[in-house]
Amino acid sequence: MEVFVQQVFNGIMLGSTYAVVAVGLTLVFGILHIPNFAHGHFYMLGAYLTFFLVTSWKIDFWPALVLSAVLLALLGVLVERIVFRPMRDQPHVNAFISAIGTLMFLEAFVMVVWGPQGHRIPNPYPETVNLLGVVTTQQRLLVIAAAVVLIVLLHLFIKKTVMGATIEAVAQNREGAMLVGINVDRVSSVTFAVSAATAAIAASMVAPIFMVSPTMGALLGMKAFIVVILGGLGSVPGAIVGGYILGIVEALGGGYISADYKDVFAFGALILILAIKPTGLFGKEVG
Amino acid sequence: MGSNGAGKTTLFRTVAGVLKPCRGTIEFQGKQIHRLSPDRIVSLGLSLCPEGRQLFPQLSVYKNLLLGAYTRRKEMSRVRKTMEWVYELFPVLKERRNQPAGTLSGGEQQMLAIGRALMSEPEMLLLDEPTMGLAPLVVRRIAEVIKEINRAGTTVFLSEQNANIALMITERGYVLENGRIVLEGPSPELLENATVKRAYLGA
Repeated sequence: MEVFVQQVFNGIMLGSTYAVVAVGLTLVFGILHIPNFAHGHFYMLGAYLTFFLVTSWKIDFWPALVLSAVLLALLGVLVERIVFRPMRDQPHVNAFISAIGTLMFLEAFVMVVWGPQGHRIPNPYPETVNLLGVVTTQQRLLVIAAAVVLIVLLHLFIKKTVMGATIEAVAQNREGAMLVGINVDRVSSVTFAVSAATAAIAASMVAPIFMVSPTMGALLGMKAFIVVILGGLGSVPGAIVGGYILGIVEALGGGYISADYKDVFAFGALILILAIKPTGLFGKEVG
Repeated sequence: MGSNGAGKTTLFRTVAGVLKPCRGTIEFQGKQIHRLSPDRIVSLGLSLCPEGRQLFPQLSVYKNLLLGAYTRRKEMSRVRKTMEWVYELFPVLKERRNQPAGTLSGGEQQMLAIGRALMSEPEMLLLDEPTMGLAPLVVRRIAEVIKEINRAGTTVFLSEQNANIALMITERGYVLENGRIVLEGPSPELLENATVKRAYLGA
């Protein structure tokens, strides 16, 4: 029982990261109608910037995280403008290729600047905590809390602000959005900024726990993509639920069977759910 | 008016800025608008209620209307007044204001599309085939509302396959064939015109 609780807790922590990253991916999917394959690399770069600011500029963890999120928001706007916007009226495959080009560029850039080896951000909150029989660190609890706060803020932004409503409007009917006077280009920029900034925050939160490395983006991007498909393309609640499911499945599979196979469980869950419900958990029928 | 494929929808979409003309100019109130983006055109006071409605299906009726007033988002008190007026024109929208737009019937969705286009308080409202595929009773209701919108001071530019309705509620008519105006005149005269009767009124 203790192992079970411990693994579920680990799964929730993993799932927090997946959920936040996947929400960003699903928002951009709504706007572009293709997945941004470079999203995982935004995440990776966000972790690196925080690492750089903390270790080289000796900035405290929290201001470094905020700065990293702001820089990634700017990068998101830039990438939308020069990589995706010129591809808007082109066949989707062109945007796919652009996204892959972007991710290769970001990975090579980080490799050149910080080298291929992993780095570690000094953990700002390493004290262990005993919570209902679960032994953990303060940082791990913070990851979970930060994800909840971020998800609630994103939800309020989308549902309660005019800007958020325009993101939903463009996702649901691009032409309808233009016709009510929404500037679709500006909405695209804002969506990319929000999506990249949240990825940077999620990455910075877990960076003190795991290593920071140039390849961390590829695997996470792939998993976020699974989560988005699992939850239903374009669905925000789907991305949140899917993220936690994937995290818990991975942790339980890894804890009880074999840690070497934890990614097998993740992909297995995807295949199983899609076999039962091809549109994903919260997916809408196309029509 | 004009038959299927005459170019009505293309004309309307070009005026609204969704499509760009290869040549020629479009002027609205003395200002050239054919190079402007759709959102700029809406803020100049020209609003299109498109064919196929183009609503936001998962957003509530209320939010659809609110987004219709996007260009006036800084004047919330006026927006609320316009919304009250839209609810007066179509009381059913008020009843269903918290329902997702996609769950409305076809007629109700058309009413919402017209209401949403009105929310920007346009000088000129472009209505592209507002009665397409609707029951006769609903068609009559929408025709009445179009008259009422016009009486309230908005110019209405209407495209219709249903020539009968179109000529009953408008002042001037233009017949479009292969993208060109082949006939125009005061609507009551067109209603009596032999060619129009034969081709569009089925008489």
